[in-house]
Amino acid sequence: MKLEEVELGQEVVIVDLSGKEEVFKKVEAMGLRRGRRVALLQKVGRNLLLKVNNSRVVISKDLARHIEVQ
Amino acid sequence: MKRITLALAGNPNVGKTSILNHLAGTSLKVGNWPGATVEKKEGRVEFMGYEIILIDLPGVYTLEPLSEEEWIAYRFLTEGKPDLVLNVVEASNIERDLLLTVELLEHEMPVLIALNMVDEAQKLGVEIKDRWLSELLGVRVVRTNGRTGEGVRALLQHIIEVYNLKEKPKPLHYSKELEEFLQRVREKDNEPKATLIRKLLQEERFRSLREEIKRSFGKEAYEVVKDERYAKAHGLFREVVERRSVSSRDITEALDGILLHPTFGIPLFFLLMFLIFKVSFDLSKPFMDWLDGFINKLIAPLTGLLLTALGAGEWLKRFFEEAVIGGVGFVLTFVPLIAVIYFLLALMEFSGYLPRVAFLMDRFMHRLGLHGKSLVPLLLGFGCNVPAIVATRTLETKRDKLLVIAMVPFMSCPARLVVFSFFAVLFFKNPAVVIFSLYLLGILVAFITAIILRKTAFGGSLYHFVMELPPYRLPTLRLLFRTVWVYVKDFLYRAGTLIFSASVVIWLALSLPPGVKRPSESLAGYVGRAIAPVFEPLGLSDWRITTSLIPAFLAREIVLSSMGTIYSAEVKEEEKPFELSEALKEQVLAFGKAIRSALINILSPVPSAFKVEEEEGSLKAVVAQALSPPQALAFMVFLLLYTSCLGTVAVMWREAGKKFALLFLLYSFLVAWLAGFLTYRGFILWSM
Repeated sequence: MKLEEVELGQEVVIVDLSGKEEVFKKVEAMGLRRGRRVALLQKVGRNLLLKVNNSRVVISKDLARHIEVQ
Repeated sequence: MKRITLALAGNPNVGKTSILNHLAGTSLKVGNWPGATVEKKEGRVEFMGYEIILIDLPGVYTLEPLSEEEWIAYRFLTEGKPDLVLNVVEASNIERDLLLTVELLEHEMPVLIALNMVDEAQKLGVEIKDRWLSELLGVRVVRTNGRTGEGVRALLQHIIEVYNLKEKPKPLHYSKELEEFLQRVREKDNEPKATLIRKLLQEERFRSLREEIKRSFGKEAYEVVKDERYAKAHGLFREVVERRSVSSRDITEALDGILLHPTFGIPLFFLLMFLIFKVSFDLSKPFMDWLDGFINKLIAPLTGLLLTALGAGEWLKRFFEEAVIGGVGFVLTFVPLIAVIYFLLALMEFSGYLPRVAFLMDRFMHRLGLHGKSLVPLLLGFGCNVPAIVATRTLETKRDKLLVIAMVPFMSCPARLVVFSFFAVLFFKNPAVVIFSLYLLGILVAFITAIILRKTAFGGSLYHFVMELPPYRLPTLRLLFRTVWVYVKDFLYRAGTLIFSASVVIWLALSLPPGVKRPSESLAGYVGRAIAPVFEPLGLSDWRITTSLIPAFLAREIVLSSMGTIYSAEVKEEEKPFELSEALKEQVLAFGKAIRSALINILSPVPSAFKVEEEEGSLKAVVAQALSPPQALAFMVFLLLYTSCLGTVAVMWREAGKKFALLFLLYSFLVAWLAGFLTYRGFILWSM
């Protein structure tokens, strides 16, 4: 499943990041990495608000599309 | 005195700015990194005979140079050669933050860790064994609370000890295989690991080495380094953190439930913006007026008396009274507004609400190619363009910042409303419709400008959205006031001097050659006559109109009073003799009145910024005679779009650079001319 398709409140584990763009290096440094648990807190417009450990990270769906979760 | 240069490094939102504020106190200065629009904060503190220079690096998650911020941080560490790095780590997100720590250790320079906001971490069930962390890294770890300032002073003692003992962290070891490859690129003994990694990953001559790595590790060299860094950070985290499970919902979650609510979040934002708008403009307006009176009715005549006593001539006396003191007063009148807006912006920023605005508003703004946060400066623009442009500092990228700076001046402010209501009431049956259309025209031109800029100068890059929402925190008043002071100081130094010098030039244009009584005989009058043909196509070839535009460059509403003097050609009325005790009493009373009307303004539901005072009748009669409705409309359109505002140009100069400010001024003039021309011709055709 893609991170983009996760339902509100659901908690998932990141399996793979397939994005090749530079911005994914930042996404990873912010804690969205293989093996991490993330929960979807909120969806507003094109953005997802995720809880990653104790921080809250917002990413747009065009990035979430490249993140495989289960 | 010995000087120590200290660089503060840390992830965004870890409270680095607050720690810097507590360390540097009022010595803090803001500016930009050379050649960048990224803000640079600098301060100094004296301690035990040492002068410590504090340099705040941009908040970054990694030192890999991806964006402008990371380049700046990386370059400063490698080329700026700080004596010491203070790594601020947010306790509750230590796992993520340790990645940057590991990357800093690769630079092999003295490091000190400030473990910040331990109390928040404890509430979340995160307990950190700071002694063990210190032991593992060979780095001192000091607990701090950036919000209250607790533990921050203790840092100073450690900074000096680390500096004097030349304490270096324990060497960082990656896997044996990777270390062997790194040794193969070593050319000098003292090359830090960061340099070895950069050479290995980037230099052309090591391409074959990278291929060798790929063969033996089964993945790209870059991936190998990245994975080892993460593994190191994760290993450290596992060693030093103990987790308890806590069930309590934290305040951030509860507040986000309301403020980021899918349906209520947006109305709440607009309500908050309305309150901010109201408080900032209504609260500062009476004080701005009072300052204006204080300078012009007390300080200026006092200087005049002094100069007369010294035997100065009439022209010189007027120069000091009107140009110099008046110019200083003009700059100062901006201060209450800038201060109040900064206070509220800092409150929004430090409390953690501002980043959430970006998240909430992105759904509308990204369609226009703008950052969600852009809405804040754009809305403030309706109150006054000057602080609105200053507020673009909250935008992170240069692109977003310049785009919004180019849009703000088209947001019609109350200064324009004063002019519009004068002309609209005089010439049109439905003044409200005319004024409303002018506001819409301004907004339209702002968006067209943004589209043009995106298609030309700022095109190309795809725009993703990635950001962190920090936890809500209540900042201390001391932190807010200090921040306000730092920015007001910066405004006075940079924009203030520019506003002052330009206002003196304008005064000279109106008062040269010495002894002129009427504007028509002054330099400005000649310039006005010379440029009149340019305005012919707009129907505004009357030299009196073009001349009144010259003083109106100070601020648009001045156009009315300057038209008054030019049209009626009246010589300035004789002022009543100045009496010190009377004037002093008057100013004290006026100050009391300012406080009272600030309070009344706050309580009344309608923003007082939009209440327009009536202009005197004599000017109305003259102007009604001199202009026709098409000319009046063309004039309003012109004044709406042309950046006839010294304050705006000055802050633009400060925020985006001289070139940008001057080009924008030219652009706004051309757009205003074109729109004025179309309005005039269109109106005439339509009414035929």
